[in-house]
Amino acid sequence: MAEVKLEKITKKFGDFVAVDAIDLKVEDGAFTVLVGPSGCGKTTTLRMIAGLEEATDGEIRIGERVVNQVPPKDRDIAMVFQNYALYPHMDVYNNMAFGLKLRKMPKAEIGRRVNEVADLLGITEKLKSKPRELSGGQRQRVAVGRAIVRDPKVFLFDEPLSNLDAKLRVQMRTELEQLHHKLKTTTVYVTHDQVEAMTLGSKIAVMKDGVIHQYDSPQSTYDHPANRFVAGFIGSPAMNFLQARANSENGRINLVGKEFRLDIPNPQEMDIQGEVVLGIRPENFSGPVSDGENLVEAKVLVTEPLGNALLVYADCGGEQIVANLDPHQTVEIDSTIKLVVDINTVHLFDRGSENTIL
Amino acid sequence: MKKKIAATLLIHLMAWVIALIWIVPFLGVFMAAIRPMGEIIRGWWRVDPFTPTFQNFTAAWNHAAAPLAEGMLNSLRVAIPATIVPILVAAIAAYGFSRFRFPLKNYLFIAIVILMTIPQQMIAIPIFRIMNDIGLLNTHAGLILVHAAWGIPWILFFMRNFFTTLPIEVEEAARIDGASDFNIFFRIVLPMSIPALISAVVLQFMWVWNDFFLALILIFSPDKMLATQRIPLLRGVFHVDWGVLAAGTILVMIVPILVFALLQRYYIKGMIGWASK
Repeated sequence: MAEVKLEKITKKFGDFVAVDAIDLKVEDGAFTVLVGPSGCGKTTTLRMIAGLEEATDGEIRIGERVVNQVPPKDRDIAMVFQNYALYPHMDVYNNMAFGLKLRKMPKAEIGRRVNEVADLLGITEKLKSKPRELSGGQRQRVAVGRAIVRDPKVFLFDEPLSNLDAKLRVQMRTELEQLHHKLKTTTVYVTHDQVEAMTLGSKIAVMKDGVIHQYDSPQSTYDHPANRFVAGFIGSPAMNFLQARANSENGRINLVGKEFRLDIPNPQEMDIQGEVVLGIRPENFSGPVSDGENLVEAKVLVTEPLGNALLVYADCGGEQIVANLDPHQTVEIDSTIKLVVDINTVHLFDRGSENTIL
Repeated sequence: MKKKIAATLLIHLMAWVIALIWIVPFLGVFMAAIRPMGEIIRGWWRVDPFTPTFQNFTAAWNHAAAPLAEGMLNSLRVAIPATIVPILVAAIAAYGFSRFRFPLKNYLFIAIVILMTIPQQMIAIPIFRIMNDIGLLNTHAGLILVHAAWGIPWILFFMRNFFTTLPIEVEEAARIDGASDFNIFFRIVLPMSIPALISAVVLQFMWVWNDFFLALILIFSPDKMLATQRIPLLRGVFHVDWGVLAAGTILVMIVPILVFALLQRYYIKGMIGWASK
């Protein structure tokens, strides 16, 4: 067990800055998820923690030790790769035992540990099988088992579920959660899937262009995104963004757009004037209604009944929005509808810097 | 439709003709090898009379001037180390080229590829002189050395291309598991490369076994001569002994055919079944 601490970590590939002076502290026993679009530097960051990539600048600590110059094998970490990276010529037992054998652990102890982990992961019957004889989910379990069996200080996961089909992915996600609950090993997990990030992470770091835009608990990231990028990346379907003109007075903010006029509370009496970007999450729409206050008017393009929700994609003055509505109703395509906005949950972003204003 | 049938017929016809042209000389050699001299002197295609016999084979095997038994043993003595040594050396070097960063790497690699284009005849005299200077002329060790050196560039090229197709994550996983470069290469990379290694073994072995040119330059003591060098000596002195000559040819051919037949199945199976994703 140990905390992982990155200080001003930078990675350059030639002139390209993959990771730009990031700071990150993963508390002992925490499950931190690095999430972001492809090319955001999350995998590079993970590989630097693993020691597979050398940091151009900055300091990496695992526990109390600075590990920049420590080879991967001496960092006391274990990593699970996206394509499992099992040793194809070894059976499951030897895949898991390989690291222990290299560490000159007594044979009996290796056997005990491998069997224990195989039991934990439900792959005991497969110990004599070669990786190619296993299904995707079983291979993933072996890869996880190979990491657990070493009992490392830190687990590193590099998109471990993205090669699995949707159903299995959800199942393995739950298993990983349970596993972390049981083992309580410090974990850094990389994914581009924000649902995985939200469900697994005790904290999530949202990355883009080599920079961490927000590092917070999943709920807090969802409720209080630091900027427009985070707001749009976290949450599915994504947050709607509408251009608006703001005018604040008397503890209220007036927002006027092409097809709406909102009057939202401004308890801190912030002075917000001029062009802003309004952010509304799909579930913060309700309706449609025939009349009322704080309405957004839009023309329905497509509807997607999901059973537990009705997603309505609509055109709002040239900008596309999506609303998550009560499924027990029908919304006609091409009709013009009025949706009520929950004014206590809207977000405002600066149009230039895209940082959160409200 | 008619046109299509005609085209198919034409293609089949051409395939048969080419196959026949290709197989006829071999058939001739075979027919000559299994029959006594008297029957084949007027042409191997005359099948009346037809008396199958092994006497040509025993004659070639125990030939007075150039016994093939000794020649095949010599050939094996040369071909086995001349296959293993360059594959081991080239595989290690190829791994370096595929995975490590070092100065002038690409230039070195290009140099190796360019060296592959040099025709063997061009190096005949220098090789002879070098071997003479280091006292390895007319020794099997010298011939092994030259074959190994000749094989390394193409095996290196071939293995490097294969290594770059291996998923690097497997090696990274081993590195995190605690394996050294040495361990990664011998315990992870080489076992994963068995299909490629076997392909290289088959090709290099056949090349060395079938070689006549280098052996002709470097080996000249009768007792050290390789199988391929002995075939022309089976011809006889006062008349061409076609039967013995044909039998000797078949004997020498059997080894590479066996190697190919045995290992081919394995490496084709390996190529299909090995990939793990």
